[in-house]
Amino acid sequence: MNNTTEKRHMGLKALNRASNTAIYILLILISVIWLIPFVFIVLQSFRVESTYQVGYVIPHQWGLQNYINLWNSDFKRWYLNTFIIALAAAVLTTVIQLCMSYTLSRFRFKMRGPLMRFMLILGMFPGMLTMIILYRVLSDIGLTQANAVPGLILVSVASSGMGYYVSKGFFDTIPKSLDEAARVDGATRLQVLYKIILPLAKPIVIYTILTAFMGPWGDYVFARYVAMGTSAGYNVAVGMYSWLSADQIANWYTTFCAGGVIVAVPVTILFLCLQKYYVEGVTGGAVKG
Amino acid sequence: MASVKLTDVKKVYDNNVVAVHDFNLNIKDKEFVVFVGPSGCGKSTTLRMIAGLEEISGGTVEIDGEVVNDLQPKDRGIAMVFQNYALYPHMTVYDNIAFSLRLKKVPEDVIYDKVTKAAEILGITEYLMRKPRALSGGQRQRVAIGRAMVRDSKVFLMDEPLSNLDAKLRNQMRAEIILLRQKLDTTFIYVTHDQTEAMTLADRIVIMKDGYIMQVGTPDEVFDMPDNLFVAEFIGAPKMNIVKTKLVLENGKYYVTPFGAKIPVDGDKGKALADKKVKAGDVLLGVRPEHIELASEADHAIPCKLIVDEMMGSELHLHVDTEDGTRLIVRVPTLDLSKEDRKKLVAGAKLYITFEGKAMHLFDPATEKNLLT
Amino acid sequence: MKQYSDLEFLRLSKWQRFCHKLIAFFCAIPRAIANFFKNIGKTVVKFFRKAGAEFKDIGQTFTQGDWRTKTSFLVMGFGNLTHGQILRGIMFLLFEVVFIVYMITTGGYWMSMLPSLGKQGPTTEYDPIYDSYTTVYHDNSFKILLYGVLTIFFIIAFIYTWRTNVKQCKTIDQIIKRGGKLKSDKDDLRSMVDEQFYKTLLALPLTGILVFTVLPIVFMILVAFTNYDGAHNGYANNLFTWVGLDNFNTMLSWQGGAGGTQSYAATFGEILAWTLMWAFLATFTNYFLGMFVAMMINKKGIHLKKVWRTILVMTIAIPQFISLLYVSKMFARNGLINLALLDLGWIKEPLPFWEDATWARVSVVLINIWIGIPHLMLIATGILMNIPADLYESARIDGANAWQQYSKITLPYMLFITGPYLLTSFTGNMNNFNVIYLLTGGAPTNVAASGAAGSVGHTDLLITWLFKITTGAESQYYLASVVGILVFVVVALISLVVYNVLPSIKNEEDFQ
Repeated sequence: MNNTTEKRHMGLKALNRASNTAIYILLILISVIWLIPFVFIVLQSFRVESTYQVGYVIPHQWGLQNYINLWNSDFKRWYLNTFIIALAAAVLTTVIQLCMSYTLSRFRFKMRGPLMRFMLILGMFPGMLTMIILYRVLSDIGLTQANAVPGLILVSVASSGMGYYVSKGFFDTIPKSLDEAARVDGATRLQVLYKIILPLAKPIVIYTILTAFMGPWGDYVFARYVAMGTSAGYNVAVGMYSWLSADQIANWYTTFCAGGVIVAVPVTILFLCLQKYYVEGVTGGAVKG
Repeated sequence: MASVKLTDVKKVYDNNVVAVHDFNLNIKDKEFVVFVGPSGCGKSTTLRMIAGLEEISGGTVEIDGEVVNDLQPKDRGIAMVFQNYALYPHMTVYDNIAFSLRLKKVPEDVIYDKVTKAAEILGITEYLMRKPRALSGGQRQRVAIGRAMVRDSKVFLMDEPLSNLDAKLRNQMRAEIILLRQKLDTTFIYVTHDQTEAMTLADRIVIMKDGYIMQVGTPDEVFDMPDNLFVAEFIGAPKMNIVKTKLVLENGKYYVTPFGAKIPVDGDKGKALADKKVKAGDVLLGVRPEHIELASEADHAIPCKLIVDEMMGSELHLHVDTEDGTRLIVRVPTLDLSKEDRKKLVAGAKLYITFEGKAMHLFDPATEKNLLT
Repeated sequence: MKQYSDLEFLRLSKWQRFCHKLIAFFCAIPRAIANFFKNIGKTVVKFFRKAGAEFKDIGQTFTQGDWRTKTSFLVMGFGNLTHGQILRGIMFLLFEVVFIVYMITTGGYWMSMLPSLGKQGPTTEYDPIYDSYTTVYHDNSFKILLYGVLTIFFIIAFIYTWRTNVKQCKTIDQIIKRGGKLKSDKDDLRSMVDEQFYKTLLALPLTGILVFTVLPIVFMILVAFTNYDGAHNGYANNLFTWVGLDNFNTMLSWQGGAGGTQSYAATFGEILAWTLMWAFLATFTNYFLGMFVAMMINKKGIHLKKVWRTILVMTIAIPQFISLLYVSKMFARNGLINLALLDLGWIKEPLPFWEDATWARVSVVLINIWIGIPHLMLIATGILMNIPADLYESARIDGANAWQQYSKITLPYMLFITGPYLLTSFTGNMNNFNVIYLLTGGAPTNVAASGAAGSVGHTDLLITWLFKITTGAESQYYLASVVGILVFVVVALISLVVYNVLPSIKNEEDFQ
């Protein structure tokens, strides 16, 4: 009998070890698949012998030529444009979204239910539909093409209140009795917000800033629409997309890779530093919202 | 230090659920009133309406003669202790207690005096620099009380302040609240679902059910003269035994006939029945477990079988079944039991029980109202 | 249908239970539909009742009010002003003045032109001073429609404000009768950061949404009933005008186009089918694989959890346009993969990743997995860690194996918590412009659909099609707007059904 129990125990252990090994192999495989394209981009950005796509990864000749090309192109301007938009969006979007989500989480007013339902329905319309009119309105007030940056900021910030779900989900997890205690203690609603709630909502504030800042870096459609072919109004996405069109790609492919590195590295570093808050926001607010 | 007067106070939620029906109550200055009732009876809602945390759907709330319906909580001169303490997690104990004073722009040295004095009374001086996270449940509760103390408020509201504590700590804190009350000398309104807390703390108890007040009275009144069946069953532990039986009237004397026995309703209770000219018929008979006595076969006693015996220390709770299968609870002080008698009290044993007329409560089976009051 | 009591139901076999539930589900549909219309009816009745009550109240306020109240019916804010509520009074009065001035100067014109959307297009006229012909512009249909809608908004706002003004007069009368104290300007200002703080907080976000989302959407819905396109841009070339339901007829007609191309309805159906299939695949592949990866990383005994997680999370940070464009080119005909495989001699012809319809569709789904898993992994990790460990412990004692633990505990728990997320992610994927547009641009071209506006491709979603229609040579905005409305209808229908099935959405407060 002792023998069989021992066997059973051994079996369990062996099985566990086998499954763990399988998982390790899978995880390594996954990591490779997920990282490889980015490794390729970096490697190709240092390739100088040719500027078009080739069938190998490791450059035959290393150099910084692609980065020099970047510097000499309009890329600087696009980068600056995007950075300004991202910065403005990070500040304004955060303010607007926090106002919205805090209110919907904490106040019970007559129009709250209808308002939330209305925004839900509004969100079912494809946002792209509004592009046509917004473009014409922006062009009427002169905020397109070379002046695309303020136009883009305006449009991306104005409707950001609709994206209140994640932060509302977070606010909902802060006990309401804290608000009530503070109000009994003599705080106005405004004081409750900045003395009690905001200090406790640090993770979601950082999450909102981070996502709002990262958004514009990948914004393509509307940015293209608003810039309407004027390079000075491009953001990085629109500008770099133009390098990959059929007639440009042979000359610009490796420069695109270099640009990709320049765009991705700072954003990624920032993201990794604030990773903790991002994870908290996604897992805390996103699912509940 | 103020009176609180509630006139026809009503709470109707958006979905037309009525949480509190016309609530009328006069709370005197420096009185300790406890709202008690099962969960969902509207006791917390009423308290929160007094605090201003819940909108008042109808009627008026007056504090110190002033209608406060439209005042913000902070302007009502109240302090409140919450069930889950509601301590601000990002502030130290000191800052928590000082919070309300700082909002009032009280000078820091005055704040220092007040906070340290409150901390001393509550015995939390050594924790002043800690964050709430680092405190035990009892300590957090003390901080919450301290926060309410320094406000020098007219009315002290407490919403189930002890229900998050374990049994032992709860008893201890209960005693401390009594002491606190003596020190503060202000009006208290206290909400709980625990009848023991209500009985021990209150000057007057307000018993609520489904948004209605069932009875208002001193602990003695609600215990001895419950207005209705609900109060009778709610107050007292273990709860009152209720038996369906008949009231008979013979030669101007009332008797009840539970389980074939015939027990006279004598003394004050008999007189009360006669005064009210109660008719004979079906009644609900209530007897508290501590008013049932073990007897020998000879006295016109009710035979029954012991099902479970619970040893509580100073007393014994016997769950017995009568011959028709009705379950009754009998409370026997262990001090009176001889060792031999105690040994006989095991599951399956045959017992005889009896009770006196003066211990009886009689209720109308239709209205559930007390027939004696 | 036979009704079972709970106890009877428990005696049924699995198959019988399933059939019973299925039948019950379908039997409930007619009643649900009936209820839906009943509710609409009730809402309408309620609306009219409420409107009636409003008018009655307005009348009463007028007849019972004093001269100040009566004046307020014409001069808004008069009641407030004469009772010392200067701030409120001035706001009311100012709004009234602005409204009247606006209506007289421009609003009236826009409203009068709204039914026709402009009478006179641009004309070529002889200019005697410069001795040349110049184009003279007259009405502007675009502006008429836009400002017309804005004016209607403004009128509604005015009526609402006027009503508020009347209500306030009534409240003032009541308070004075009761001998109460009126709120002073100081009280009003203070309440802006206290009881009324929500209004202060919502003012900016809601204005933004109103101007930049509601107004454009109303405008675009209206465009679906006009002939607004590149050739009728309403100003520089031709005016556009109302055409009724013509555009919907075009979009939903089964009439084939010239040269044997398929009808609009067929094209729309084809794209819709792929859109739904894509949304389904994209959502659920990501969901299950993301959960799988999260479970692997979370498994007890796996080391370096943080490293695995960080590697995946890092890819979230890299802007999608870089990764998508790069991968798109990597799989292109002359991209890295094909060139490398050719060099190695493994293939003779480049693989048609983006040239063949099936290849392209499979490729976008696979690449979308690559894009989406890290995010799902994060969400799943958060939820998995929240599942009470004692559930698993009790299941293990009950004898459940790993698969049973997953299917009886993990999965139901995840599905319950993530129900709302799945819905938004499904509709989000239906409108996932970036992935499709940056990867394939809709390619390969759908030859059969060449009669339809925009160059329709096999991987085009409704949303990318909409984009192509507006940016195409003829810019048929009216068709784009019809597509947009239809997308809304589809999304709304799906949401409605799911909402009524999911328990976790219905009770918002349950989770607070």
